[in-house]
Amino acid sequence: MTPVPRYAHGSRVPGWDTPADLDKDPATIPGRGGSPSVPVPAELRAEIEASMALYPNSHSATLPALQAAQRLHGWCSPEAIEQVACVMGLTPADLAAVATFYDMLETEPVGRHSVYVCTNISCSLSGADALLAAVQEAVSEAADGASEFNVRAFECLGACDIAPMASVDGVYVGPLSLADVPALLDDIRAGRPVLPEKQLAKRACADVEANR
Amino acid sequence: MSDKLLFKDIDEPGLNTLAVYRRRGGYEALRQALQLAPEDVLKQLEASGLRGRGGAGFAMGKKVSFLPKGSMDKYLVCNADESEPGTFKDRELMQKSPHMLLEGIVIASYAAGANRSFIYIRGEYVLQADVLDAALAEAREAGYIGEQILGSEHSLSLVVHRGAGAYICGEETGLLDSLEGKRGNPRLKPPFPANQGLYQGPTLINNVETLSTVPTIMRMGGEEYAKLGVQTSTGTKLVSISGQVRRPGNYEIELGIPSREIIFGLAGGPLEGRQIKCWFPGGSSAPVLTAEDLDVPYDFDSLAKAGSMLGSGAIIVVDDSTPIVELAIKLAKFYRHESCGKCTPCREGTNWTVEMLERIDSGEATPMDLDIMASVQEHIIGNCLCVLGDAMAMPIGSMIAKFRPEFEAHIESARARADLNPAHPAGHTAGHQAGASEQALAAQGAPGA
Amino acid sequence: MPRPEPKTITFTIDGLEVQAPENVMLVDAAKHGDVEIPVFCYEPKLGNPVGACRMCLVEIEGIGKLQTGCSTPVKDGMVVHTQTERVKIAQQAVVEFLLINHPLDCPVCDKGGECPLQDITFGWGPGHSRFIEPKRHFVKPLELSPTIAIDRERCILCYRCARFSQEISEDHQLVLLERGAHSYISTFDGHPYVAPFSGNIVELCPVGALTSLPYRFRARPWDVEDAGSVCTLCPSQCNVTLTVRDDRVLRVLARQNDEVDDGWLCDRGRFAYPALGGDERITEPLIRDGGELRPVSWERALEAAASGLKRAGERTGAIAGGQATGEEGFLLARLLREGLGSPHLDSRRAGTLPLELHRALSDPALQAKISDLEFAHSVLVLDADPIEDMPILDLRLRKGVRRHDMKLLEASSEDLPALRELALSLGQHGEDVVILWHERLTAGPNGPAATQALLEIAASLSMSEVPGAGLLEIPAGSNGRGLREAGVLPNAGPGLCELDDAPGRDARGIAEALIAGELAALYLLQSDPLEELPERDLWEQALERASTVVAHASFLTDGLRAHADVVFPSEAYAEKEGTVVHPDGRLQRLRPAVARPGKFGSTLAGWQVLAKVASRLDLDLGVLTGSMASQQLFDAVPFYAGLTLEEIGGRGVRWQERETAVTS
Ligand SMILES: Cc1cc2nc3c(=O)[nH]c(=O)nc-3n(C[C@H](O)[C@H](O)[C@H](O)COP(=O)(O)O)c2cc1C
Ligand code: SF4
Ligand code: FES
Repeated sequence: MTPVPRYAHGSRVPGWDTPADLDKDPATIPGRGGSPSVPVPAELRAEIEASMALYPNSHSATLPALQAAQRLHGWCSPEAIEQVACVMGLTPADLAAVATFYDMLETEPVGRHSVYVCTNISCSLSGADALLAAVQEAVSEAADGASEFNVRAFECLGACDIAPMASVDGVYVGPLSLADVPALLDDIRAGRPVLPEKQLAKRACADVEANR
Repeated sequence: MSDKLLFKDIDEPGLNTLAVYRRRGGYEALRQALQLAPEDVLKQLEASGLRGRGGAGFAMGKKVSFLPKGSMDKYLVCNADESEPGTFKDRELMQKSPHMLLEGIVIASYAAGANRSFIYIRGEYVLQADVLDAALAEAREAGYIGEQILGSEHSLSLVVHRGAGAYICGEETGLLDSLEGKRGNPRLKPPFPANQGLYQGPTLINNVETLSTVPTIMRMGGEEYAKLGVQTSTGTKLVSISGQVRRPGNYEIELGIPSREIIFGLAGGPLEGRQIKCWFPGGSSAPVLTAEDLDVPYDFDSLAKAGSMLGSGAIIVVDDSTPIVELAIKLAKFYRHESCGKCTPCREGTNWTVEMLERIDSGEATPMDLDIMASVQEHIIGNCLCVLGDAMAMPIGSMIAKFRPEFEAHIESARARADLNPAHPAGHTAGHQAGASEQALAAQGAPGA
Repeated sequence: MPRPEPKTITFTIDGLEVQAPENVMLVDAAKHGDVEIPVFCYEPKLGNPVGACRMCLVEIEGIGKLQTGCSTPVKDGMVVHTQTERVKIAQQAVVEFLLINHPLDCPVCDKGGECPLQDITFGWGPGHSRFIEPKRHFVKPLELSPTIAIDRERCILCYRCARFSQEISEDHQLVLLERGAHSYISTFDGHPYVAPFSGNIVELCPVGALTSLPYRFRARPWDVEDAGSVCTLCPSQCNVTLTVRDDRVLRVLARQNDEVDDGWLCDRGRFAYPALGGDERITEPLIRDGGELRPVSWERALEAAASGLKRAGERTGAIAGGQATGEEGFLLARLLREGLGSPHLDSRRAGTLPLELHRALSDPALQAKISDLEFAHSVLVLDADPIEDMPILDLRLRKGVRRHDMKLLEASSEDLPALRELALSLGQHGEDVVILWHERLTAGPNGPAATQALLEIAASLSMSEVPGAGLLEIPAGSNGRGLREAGVLPNAGPGLCELDDAPGRDARGIAEALIAGELAALYLLQSDPLEELPERDLWEQALERASTVVAHASFLTDGLRAHADVVFPSEAYAEKEGTVVHPDGRLQRLRPAVARPGKFGSTLAGWQVLAKVASRLDLDLGVLTGSMASQQLFDAVPFYAGLTLEEIGGRGVRWQERETAVTS
């Protein structure tokens, strides 16, 4: 009998169903108390150390540090986490606990460009579910889909005024129609600004007429 | 309302730069405040009656006054996590008028005696965080932030801290844990942040809009500001309106105007041929109101009296084309996804609610399940560590209470479909197609339908 | 550091006026009125309450929302209700929530019968569930470490184990991953949870999610008996409860004693014991016959031992190992001194310490106790590595630093000028300074000077006048302190009294004398010098040269296998009766939890063997029972005067705190 998954989509992180590997050493702080250090790229180290210096307690730098490691590695891989742990003097487990808590930190390998499609209430009232399906379909049919795109349904991105919308590598675009999908993906592939006319940055707000 | 305060120059090109902001009188309020004693600045804040714009509506001046006096390290944290579904007002302020926020932060830190400050901005707001960083560099350069600001004794450091995607980090104590580099789990209160907050030190936490209002209060004087709005809800408020309306967007209103004026007057009312089925007056955590409640004045107390809340000031309008069950599933799934998992009723209750709703939608429920679901919501409310659990249970509870006939009709029709075609239990898509007939069934019973 | 002094207040709970110390949490205050408030996540040992499980909700008059009893400090005049309809509904709701994803596989769960979740479900649950969706399912159980299994279906996410890892042992290996209903307890990337105190999480878990692999399916609570004793595997002497089934120890649990262990055990103490029952145990007397050790009758073994010793007479030396009780040590000393006329006996690893230094170091006014470590303003760890030497102190020191802002310093006596320099600044954080030092400080050529320096530092900090300040020595042997106080020293008798005769040789001196042929026989009471004492080569030669080696041992270690002539099986601590002395002067009592090994428990106790050997040397030790041996010891040591086993009881007694405490 196949086990009934807790949720249809299961967990984002592998690990619930696997035992610890008893041949591994305990994961203590790399480079401290006799446990082996890990090599850290110099730029990453410098970036993390700069973040640590900003706070009264350097522990506060876990998010900026993990974000930096993710930019470098593409995701918070075990290797990335160990590097952050080594620089920050924390155990990798403490960082994994943080990394798995936040939606924007990826704990599995993903495509290069993130496309967060908001599917929360306001966007879905404006057709976000169909939009997400269209983007997912276009990406799944593309040969470069898995490597180039990380398409995710996202909770409210704070741009319900341009619903339905998406955040492409942090750039907000909307309102999107199904017809925008091919151009959206093409712009991403080409490294152009995505859908310039639909970027939130362009939008005025103060007067009634400015809003659609 | 013609006199806008926060949005006065909002679309002026370049307002995000120091030059334009200063041309518009920016940082004058700071200069003025630094000439007063901190207690006198506090008095202005108290006199203004300004209530927190982040959700809880707690009087800002009073919160500042809770911070202990003394020479210990004190902190000011600006809550820019803005993750409440439907809310996007802070985004606008930070993107277009970042210096107004910075000015507010410096003044508030002066009143509170805080010397270190942080803006915790949600990680998704990349543009806005970049704008803030640029503005911060300018302000530092100009001596508005840093050591001995404008020649006064007051010094303040500021760090823009980017979150990484977690609604619960908007809850003030979850935010503090996150800012300390941990998982964003809320803390037990007491101790309250004013006494033991960031790094266990006294901490003032306020929303972006709250802090952005501070320069205006200094300029107008607290008492003048308090004349705006209604007695317990003074001043103006940014309202984010979205959903099924013609002109979604941010609007600045004077508190106390009829809600109808916002939804119909400013946002243009529902789309062609549609009726309002329900609306959330203060983000998705607010219990839903119906078309009958459109004349409720838009202020803290009136909305509370109507059984809901002003919350973050985000109105989401839902029209009669949307099945209530679908709305409820969306909502419950959001809170299940965002529950931090620390406390039992929220972690298990949100999960259970989603599963029951999905069962309703797939035709495997009976009306008895509605009673169970309603009782589960009651078991969540008031029993959680923070109010995220309540934030699901209250709107879901209100939907069951106000739209029970539609839920029952949905159960019936979904069961009928499931029986016809037992191999393929009706799911989400099927629900969509059936929407129209359900509407018809529910038409007599559901208020607002 | 000033310790909290509780003020008593009166509050009302369920209509009952109850007195309780002010500011203790309501769940604890309620116990003063015999009211139980159910809890899952609350565990005061773990530090501040987290209020996560919501099981402890109570109604407090004047406060609208229900409050968590685990995190609400009780105040004078508070009126609390735990039996109202509102509270009942909330409690039932929490139990219902917790059970919706719990597998209820109690019939195959090791926790069954001793499970807080079962008890609370029975006492406060709704009696039925309305949850009909499929429960979550995981592969289970999974190995979390070589000794601990995790069953994620059963986990109720109370955070206790993760808090232990973060806040008590501070190893930060065990964490929660993911968020919300997805949260689960795990380590990083499949690494095992291996840390010195990891086993405590099994005891902390209020359900059967974390179970002990060695104990897995070994017994049900109703099959077993609990026996309280003291672990003597190291000087920590943690208090334990042994789980006994069919006369075998299956499990070791902590028996909380705040003055000793704070309720924790190290993994060695927890998991090593069952191995002590293994096939390797010596269960019969052995004597060397044709180069091999062979089992013989007790009579023959006793005879062989006695005749060997008799031949050597005053040319006999004796070493007592740290596992020996004070009584055994005391009887051994009598055997040597009175029976054989030999003064050559030792229990220290570090060599002779001049008696006046020894006495000065043992001055009751100078002694710190374990809880002083926690509340001190600063602690200097001198020549010691707590995690190796006395593991449980590692947790106590971390607690001091974390909760009471204690300053922790480390130093070595190798560089005495630097140490004296450091000592000058010791008092700057406050007058309560504790120096935690190891016996090895007194060893070697530098030893006397280091000891002198230590005493001077103590004097300069006025340690004997400051109640929270003092010295705490970690002896090399588990019961090192008890053996010294019993007189197992070359230069002192019981109670560190001066000897009438010339002092004998210390351990090293015994080895040298054996090599030189000046001593002929060696009596090893639970000690193998090759394993325990420095200078293995020296001892190798000494054992080689000794004409008779008599040993009490549980296992045949290398030195004994090669050199012992007579070996008596000795008891493991769970089989022993007698007393040991904790490094801070607390006498603790060992009680036999299981029978001694051998057919029909035929093995003799250590004190019995000593008595029988003595009688064959024409010395009547006058002990017919274990408690007679204890009585002799108490009578002989001046500062134990009037002590009884009853007084020691289950928690132990620090002799310094008794009326009769006098500087010897
Ligand atoms: C689940 C939850 C999410 C919240 N999210 C936000 C948020 O995104 N932004 C915000 O300003 N306040 C948020 N709050 C409210 C804060 O806890 C806090 O009340 C507010 O930041 C105080 O600032 P104010 O007094 O200026 O409103 C949230 C509260 C809860 C319980
Ligand atoms: S109510 Fe939800 S989000 Fe808040 S502490 Fe409890 S589990 Fe976490
Ligand atoms: S025992 Fe109080 S919340 Fe868990």
